[in-house]
Amino acid sequence: MKDIADQEVIDIGDMDVEAFNELAVEQGWSDGMPLYLPTEEKVARFVETVRGDNRPYAPVPPRQIVPTVQSVAANAVMAGCKPEYFPVVTAALRGVLDPEYNLHGSLATTHSCAPMVMVSGPIRHKLGINCGSNCFGQGWRANATIGRALGLMLLNIAGAKPGEMDRSTQGNPAKFTFCFGENEEENPWAPYHVQRGFAPTDSVVTVMSGEGPHNLNDHGSTTGDGLLTTFAGSMSTPGANTVYGKGPMFVIIGPEHAATLRRDGFTIETIREELFRRSRIHASRISAENQDTYISTGHKPDGDWFTIGRSAQDIHIAVAGGPGKHSAFIPSFGGTTVACVRINP
Amino acid sequence: MRIVNPTFGLAAAGGPKVDLKPVNWATDAIALVSNSKPNARELLAGIREKLGAFRPIDNIEFLAKNSASQPAPKDVIEKVAANFRGALLAIAD
Repeated sequence: MKDIADQEVIDIGDMDVEAFNELAVEQGWSDGMPLYLPTEEKVARFVETVRGDNRPYAPVPPRQIVPTVQSVAANAVMAGCKPEYFPVVTAALRGVLDPEYNLHGSLATTHSCAPMVMVSGPIRHKLGINCGSNCFGQGWRANATIGRALGLMLLNIAGAKPGEMDRSTQGNPAKFTFCFGENEEENPWAPYHVQRGFAPTDSVVTVMSGEGPHNLNDHGSTTGDGLLTTFAGSMSTPGANTVYGKGPMFVIIGPEHAATLRRDGFTIETIREELFRRSRIHASRISAENQDTYISTGHKPDGDWFTIGRSAQDIHIAVAGGPGKHSAFIPSFGGTTVACVRINP
Repeated sequence: MRIVNPTFGLAAAGGPKVDLKPVNWATDAIALVSNSKPNARELLAGIREKLGAFRPIDNIEFLAKNSASQPAPKDVIEKVAANFRGALLAIAD
């Protein structure tokens, strides 16, 4: 089957799901795992969920084509989404199309980044998005397929084919899927989307081109100050893109750590400030060659210390996960932003 | 069975088509554009030196993006277009 790239609807004849998956691999549509068939009927059910949202999509880099809602939906169907997930998927796509997200750079880079998708607001419960134990992991259809749908769109619509336009040196398991919900119910501060100016009753998708989560294990500290020492020590990693690329990063605090920090009087703002102050990297931990590179590209040290971002505002805080003494650090690609998009009901 | 093509999209409207003039790599002004990755400038300097074996190099100049992760800014692209007939780009790592 040739020359099908410019056909919106393709007649594949009498083909079962296994044969379709062979076709998908042949055409370069697959992420390597089995796909659902994006039949016209299934796609139409997805499109129905966003009826009324007539905003056109911007051209999607690097391929620079304007997708139709049908082709966007085809990827969500193939990923295994339920139709009701589709407004979240389209919001996530709009998020990565924010020019400041730098989709072209984040897809073509040799860095391992993948889109982190965080869902906030009432839709988390309506769709069964896991916000608690194992929220970054397996076992929840909404988490697994919403993230996967975005990944398939970046492959098929954006054209980020591994080894061709996607030049990642090693890649990252998060390129398959990386979607989770905020644990707003155990967040002693404002949920992330409210920090960003949305109403608590809004449902919002937040996207950032990031690495996978780096665990922040602290079973021993019983004070907020102790936890921040551990967090900052783990975040001050010379190998993170954010050291020389500068840019945003997330700290996803587990509920037990959050409760301790809140008890000891820390706020979102003071956590950010303390982490920025304490997570600096001493020059002795950075090679002379890299120091020269950082300085020549405008990232000058503060005395003998290099910061992991531009300011405390680069450190974004949310709460997710279940019981246990773990949190997570998610550094970004660097030259990107954290984009938030309200999900149309 | 009919399926929807997951790669389908419409071509974005582009700018006016530009007719490229041929480049004489033996004499024309050339820009060596760094992507600002570590050691890119050194690699381009080596290329400039090697070009010197068979052509003048006083009209081969270095330019750079201001960030490895961001696209080349408009002023750099305009400078290349206005002043050079060809460009050699340092890409990847």
